[in-house]
Amino acid sequence: MASLAAALAVVTPTRMELLKLKQRVNLAQRGHDLLREKMDALIIEFFEILRRIGAARAGALKQLSLAYRALSTCSAIMGTIETLQASKEARRELEVEISTRHVMGIVVPTLEVEKVERSALDRGYSLHTTSSVLDEASREFEKALGLLIKLAELEESGRAIAKELERTKRRVNALEYILIPRLRAALKFISMRLDEMERENFTRLKRIKAMLEAET
Amino acid sequence: MSVDRVLKFELSKLNVHLPMRRISLKEAMMSARPQVAARDGSTHIFKREELDLLAKIVPEAEWEMLRLPILIALDPKLGRGAARINGEAEVRAINQILEKESAGEELLIYRPEVAVIRRKLPTTTQYLFVPG
Repeated sequence: MASLAAALAVVTPTRMELLKLKQRVNLAQRGHDLLREKMDALIIEFFEILRRIGAARAGALKQLSLAYRALSTCSAIMGTIETLQASKEARRELEVEISTRHVMGIVVPTLEVEKVERSALDRGYSLHTTSSVLDEASREFEKALGLLIKLAELEESGRAIAKELERTKRRVNALEYILIPRLRAALKFISMRLDEMERENFTRLKRIKAMLEAET
Repeated sequence: MSVDRVLKFELSKLNVHLPMRRISLKEAMMSARPQVAARDGSTHIFKREELDLLAKIVPEAEWEMLRLPILIALDPKLGRGAARINGEAEVRAINQILEKESAGEELLIYRPEVAVIRRKLPTTTQYLFVPG
């Protein structure tokens, strides 16, 4: 209330100011309506991405569980040291192409990855000294890696949309609860002040007229 | 006045994601990399599976008429949560997606329907914010 009173104290009650304020209220109202539409659209996008993140995370966790189970089986059959040795022999450089796409002006990442799954021959460990359970475990981990990359893309998109949503919500609230009420209060103040000045003027004229009539 | 300037800046940024020129479904189907250039200089790429879905539901004779991306116009005058689709072919395609029956060049849809459209056609639809 104090800030509103302070804001009103600096308002000049003139018709010019009244016109300017009306324009500012219109702009603020228009901005508020459009930003609220944007906020609603962002909420739709955000919930959609949350749904996709949930599904992707469940898929990735399931796949990781399968992969670790396969690794345990592999360690049990081949032996822990041999499995570790084979994992050290395997070489991999995975190229991930990171580009961006725009959702309503928000930059979200797009990860494009070459084929994650590869054949046992391409993995680099010796097929002669290892068991087929190692191939199975490797394949399950490669599948999990592909799902994790997809999940990372979705989570980063979700984070970017959430950030923009928060920013837009802050703007909408600032307009709705601070700027527009303040402008409307100033508008009302000027309007009432101008009415008051008009009434004062009218009374003054009446009084002058009465004085002039009394003199004649 | 700085608040007004910030507001004007925000409003000017609302539609920068829109394409400079929309392409027809036919053009998109024939292109090896279907995409449009946006006003902010970025490139908007259409997913092939969405194009295939549209190609399946829109008769081939109308491929030239359907402009992509389909614009979901959010106009504060329509009320909160309401949106408008313009264009005969676009309306027909959206009707098919929503399993609705209506004709004409304009279709009014509501928030749950917008969510369905965005879920099924995330790259071939875009929001358009209509200033009042």
